[in-house]
Amino acid sequence: MPQLDTSTWLVTIIAMILMLFILIQLKFHKYSYPLSPAPKTFKSTSFPTPWETKWTKIYSPLLLPQQ
Amino acid sequence: MNENLFSSFITPTMMGLPIVILIIMFPTLLFPTPTRLINNRLVSAQQWLAQLILKQMMMMHSPKGRTWALMLISLIMFIGSTNLLGLLPHSFTPTTQLSMNLGMAIPLWAGTVITGFRYKTKASLAHFLPQGTPVPLIPMLVIIETISLFIQPMALAVRLTANITAGHLLMHLIGGAALALISISPTTALITFIILILLTILEFAVALIQAYVFTLLVSLYLHDNT
Repeated sequence: MPQLDTSTWLVTIIAMILMLFILIQLKFHKYSYPLSPAPKTFKSTSFPTPWETKWTKIYSPLLLPQQ
Repeated sequence: MNENLFSSFITPTMMGLPIVILIIMFPTLLFPTPTRLINNRLVSAQQWLAQLILKQMMMMHSPKGRTWALMLISLIMFIGSTNLLGLLPHSFTPTTQLSMNLGMAIPLWAGTVITGFRYKTKASLAHFLPQGTPVPLIPMLVIIETISLFIQPMALAVRLTANITAGHLLMHLIGGAALALISISPTTALITFIILILLTILEFAVALIQAYVFTLLVSLYLHDNT
């Protein structure tokens, strides 16, 4: 049975050790499993109106005291 | 006839150069390294498969045992890919070599046993005596348990070697028979060919199952010892 020919055993074992313990592990340790990206909840920003309604109401041109 | 039949199990050397090294290292080419955030289909599929296997295997282990995750996933992928590649015609299957399987089984088994001895000495020694044995039976049972412990790596290696070798041999024999029968009686050749197809399907299953069994048993020995 050719599997029992021990002359080739050293080469096979060394190649296997190299492969299994180094090469393949180098491939698999790069696998990353990040968590699925979830959307960030934003605070609802109140959009400031360019002018205050009250200010506009008082200071609109037609409402100013007549010069 | 004998010489011809076993010739596919001779470690391949070409003019004195051991090509067996290249054959053993070939499966690394089939697992590309992921380099992007979103990878291509092949890498994503392999990552998905690795995650599936890892979740299944590592669930039963303690955190100490989970440090072996990389080792176990590499083991199952290596054995699985090597076995499947060996089903191609005229290819050499490294897992038919007893040398390689012994080289895989003994260090891994020894690693689990030594881990058990270092971290849980009393508990791992307690494995030698099952609970509730009657006192007169104790010496005999300790001997039996020791033998069964030391036979674990041998069984791992020989199981893998014998299964894959036997499958390949059967395929050679039945294929040769089908070929020889064509000129004698085509109907019998057809039946033999159908048997060959069924056998090939079995061999695909065996290739994967053997990888799984090997890894599962190593993981079990690990679980006992962590």
